[in-house]
Amino acid sequence: MSSVSNTKVPLISPEEVSIEDKKANEFGPLTSKEYLHQVHSRNGKGLGEPILDAPPYYVSVITYLNYLILIILGNIHDFLGMTFQKDRHPDIVEKDGIAPWYSKFESFFVRRMKKRIDDCFSRPTTGVPGRFIRCIDRISHDLNEYFTYPGTSTMCLNLSSYNYLGFAQSEGQCTDAALEAIKKYGINSGGPRAQIGTTDLHVATERYVADFVGKEDAMVFSMGYGTNANFFDAFLDSKCLVISDELNHASIRTGVRLSGAAVKVFKHNDMAALEKIIREQIVQGQPKSHRPWKKILICVEGLFSMEGTMCNLPEIIELKKKYKCYLFVDEAHSIGAMGPKGRGVCDVFGVDPADIDILMGTFTKSFGAAGGYIAADKAMIDRLRLDVSTASYGEPMPVPVLAQIISSLRTITGELNPGEGQERLQRIAFNSRYLRLALQRLGFIVYGIADSPVVPMLLYAPSKMPAFSRMMLQRKIAVVVVSYPATPLIESRVRFCVSASLTKEDIDYLLRHVSEVGDKLFLKVSTGKAGGSLDGRPPRWDIEEVIKRTPADCKDDKYFMA
Amino acid sequence: MTKPPEILPSSIPVPAGLVQTSAYAWFYLRTLFEKVPGTRYIVSYVKKSHQDDPYRTMVEIVLIIYGIVYFLGKPRKKGVVVPGSGLSAREVEALLEEWEPEPLVERVPDDQKWRLNALPRVVGGGIVNQVRLARGATGNTSDENGADHVTFNCASHNALQLTQHPEVVAVAEETIRRYGVGACGPAGFYGNQDVHSRLEYDMARFFGTESAVLYGQDFCVAPSVVPAFTKRGDVIVADDQVNVSLQNALQLSRSTVYYFKHNDMDSLEELLIHLQERELQENLPALPRKFIVTEGLFHRLGDIAPLPDLVRLKNKYRYRLFVDETFSIGVLGATGRGVTEHFNMARSSSIDITTGSLATAMGSSGGFVLGDDIMSKHQRIGSFAYCYSASLPSYTVAAVSKVIELLENGNDAVAKLHALSDKLHVFFSQDKALSKYIQVTSDPASYILHFRLTPEFRLQKFNSSEEQIFQERAILQKKGISEKHVEAYELEDRFLQCIVDTALHDSNVYICRSTYIYKHETLPIVPSIKICCNATMSEKELLDACNAVKQAVLKNCV
Repeated sequence: MSSVSNTKVPLISPEEVSIEDKKANEFGPLTSKEYLHQVHSRNGKGLGEPILDAPPYYVSVITYLNYLILIILGNIHDFLGMTFQKDRHPDIVEKDGIAPWYSKFESFFVRRMKKRIDDCFSRPTTGVPGRFIRCIDRISHDLNEYFTYPGTSTMCLNLSSYNYLGFAQSEGQCTDAALEAIKKYGINSGGPRAQIGTTDLHVATERYVADFVGKEDAMVFSMGYGTNANFFDAFLDSKCLVISDELNHASIRTGVRLSGAAVKVFKHNDMAALEKIIREQIVQGQPKSHRPWKKILICVEGLFSMEGTMCNLPEIIELKKKYKCYLFVDEAHSIGAMGPKGRGVCDVFGVDPADIDILMGTFTKSFGAAGGYIAADKAMIDRLRLDVSTASYGEPMPVPVLAQIISSLRTITGELNPGEGQERLQRIAFNSRYLRLALQRLGFIVYGIADSPVVPMLLYAPSKMPAFSRMMLQRKIAVVVVSYPATPLIESRVRFCVSASLTKEDIDYLLRHVSEVGDKLFLKVSTGKAGGSLDGRPPRWDIEEVIKRTPADCKDDKYFMA
Repeated sequence: MTKPPEILPSSIPVPAGLVQTSAYAWFYLRTLFEKVPGTRYIVSYVKKSHQDDPYRTMVEIVLIIYGIVYFLGKPRKKGVVVPGSGLSAREVEALLEEWEPEPLVERVPDDQKWRLNALPRVVGGGIVNQVRLARGATGNTSDENGADHVTFNCASHNALQLTQHPEVVAVAEETIRRYGVGACGPAGFYGNQDVHSRLEYDMARFFGTESAVLYGQDFCVAPSVVPAFTKRGDVIVADDQVNVSLQNALQLSRSTVYYFKHNDMDSLEELLIHLQERELQENLPALPRKFIVTEGLFHRLGDIAPLPDLVRLKNKYRYRLFVDETFSIGVLGATGRGVTEHFNMARSSSIDITTGSLATAMGSSGGFVLGDDIMSKHQRIGSFAYCYSASLPSYTVAAVSKVIELLENGNDAVAKLHALSDKLHVFFSQDKALSKYIQVTSDPASYILHFRLTPEFRLQKFNSSEEQIFQERAILQKKGISEKHVEAYELEDRFLQCIVDTALHDSNVYICRSTYIYKHETLPIVPSIKICCNATMSEKELLDACNAVKQAVLKNCV
């Protein structure tokens, strides 16, 4: 490692640690059987009315003021910069008769607001993103204009990676499978699936995935975003309607736009609004021509990644059946991580996967791999094999990734290392519930349902995002902060992604620091109506009390509202 | 209380009750009005203006009434039936009951089943030159006979085959041992590891640009990058033979798209002049962003875009040049640096945005964009496929870094490839017997040889022509029918599949029909066949395969 400052991300050599330590750093050993929780199926029961805690008015006012100040300062900055330092703004200035890449207005948010906190994003890392993640140290210069890298790295507790079941490992059966696959198949890519890209491992993976999610057949793709973005144009056209949850992922929106289908958006998880739109649209038909829609597809996500909420699947299925619509569920975050057997939302609600027409998901999250899948009836998949553009024009899924998927899937189902998959599921369920309830008891506002491994904690004011992220990094905890446009303007938040690889003690460590930072940043503003309160008063528990009582309490549903 | 004033002269015969009520109403309203603070001024203003110009009061009253009517009537949009309006509850229920949707996805009709059965599947090993090949998507419906014997694979896009190099494989294994497989996060949130950054530096250095940005999948790159830099009102001028990925990009760009004739620089210049004149007339408030979009080595035809002319035109008319180099990276140019090296030009000064694939000649996985720092920086925020998607698995990027290192250290794979692709081209383009039936569209420098039926043969065999197919297609498009197929196209495509099958069954050589999905192709297209060579083939192997293909073509056509 050199100590010379460099503006390029350096390659970090691996740490010299024993195999046991390396394993423990990637996947913390279970410290007690107490810290497991078996999730039970809801047996077809839908979700209740969501209870959203709202902060006191002054928090909202401060947040808006915060934005106002940022906008005013940004505009002054722009004015001065464009007047006196034109050469420093090549990105927004017309040059030689060529328009700038971005207009001043379009890029204002990025240049004058996001840039101030750029040090909280895109932190380079190295090694396995497991229980700990090694962040490469960097020093910001000139208001995040550029970074230098001293060549060192810091081990941080990882609350940022989508490593729900802890399969991001470089030891164990999955890594062995991937390495074996390289021996047998190499890392060679051929061409599109329809031309030469398919190996028997692709076929086997599709079989496993289909069986796992409970569908007849499946297709796998090399990128999760790409799965959605190039999927809908295979079977929708402008005479079809898509009814989409307002918080659906960008990939779904891109895919639907590409298909040319008409889109109606309903308020997040609002079943009444959904029904109203369906009725209206069936009665009215297509705009202008008033011909009936050819087909209506409802698109929702299983677990919404920014909110930690789930779609109200039983009720959606009821609506879908009643009105003869089709249903597409994106299980990017829920597959593997949720449900008694880790089989996603269908498993959580105990509904038959046959009631959902298309199940989509990704392998990036719970399986520690990459890519996405589409699962549906055989007849449908057969058609899609011919019609999905990625299969005929794009790259195939790389083979070692397939091996990782198969081995992690088989671990979850118990075929490989019986018991390990179940333990991982029980650990993530416990960890998610423990962190969520503990944060609520400390007085933070937390969104989402009890079992969601995504735990979004509200920060509100945009200036608290960098403060929180930096203070956490100082305490060697890697967290993700998100704000507008991924969230509503005033609901900036930190998103803890819980993993099965964390131990209960890791979460204690996290809680102590979050509690301390929360006091400093004035984040404990909940009213307790969305959980955490025992007597109806705003919960402001002492941290030691929380750590002592919550591990047992969090297994009981009565402490959670949803 | 004062007595209400008389407002009408008693000479007009009006019922006394009416007079009295209206008089009371007027009186009370007025007293009420006067009680509201500040109304004094309004009254005096109205009085004064009425005195000066009585007509004005009338006009104002009419305006106020119109305003009220307009405001109240606003929700009722013209032409759209308000839900429930005019429909009784029973009628609504009947409509709901009556509606029958089409099936979500049509079944594959029997006359299309051959496409499914033609899907190839490599059995028992990786995709190299000698493979065992079974057909059919899943194994149940397939013919497994192919898996018994070794087939020579002439369909791989992996032109350099450097990912088979032991050093590259060793790097991949080592990386998995250190990083695991998945990156488990998007680039913005701890997903970019040091190996990702290093590959970006390596690519930028190798291709001579300021920066490079990595993407998870090649097919997604262009449809994500183009919309990141365009909005309504921007102008895109594109070649009319660009691939589906670019067609998608143009559709998502929201810009005004114009097409010029394939590789025809006169057509392009004419168009640019025309657009320039239009722009001068329109006198726009801000300069629109303008792009010329083309491919390095065309996916559909295998020919090369005339880069020097494109650069001259883009400089002359102030456009940016966007080139999709999916098939030319690692292939064109003496050292595989792409279409710029092929024409001896510097990439940084000629092409503004280059997109490409790491899964073709580089043999790994993923896509990338090359360009200057400012463009790359904005892309990392504005490009959906970059922001909302997990980073590539670390071993795939580490492998590409190694491939680039090999290329920089003078690996002879590119030279070998050039020698082979030249042989391949000569064989097919100079064969007298074949020229009656097929025409080669690809460039001698292309490692993928594309051929299609000659127009004469098409007319003779199917009694159709390119134009006819386009027209039929255009009619279907106009009607908005996306499922129907054009009969002539289908027949021809199936005929080409017969050639592919013959080569496979008779001589164990696998070549591939270009798997166009007709409904995704918005630009005119005819079926074609591809033969790919790669750097690890021997000349004899390739020529044997060429002969086999020739026999297969002749067997089917004669």
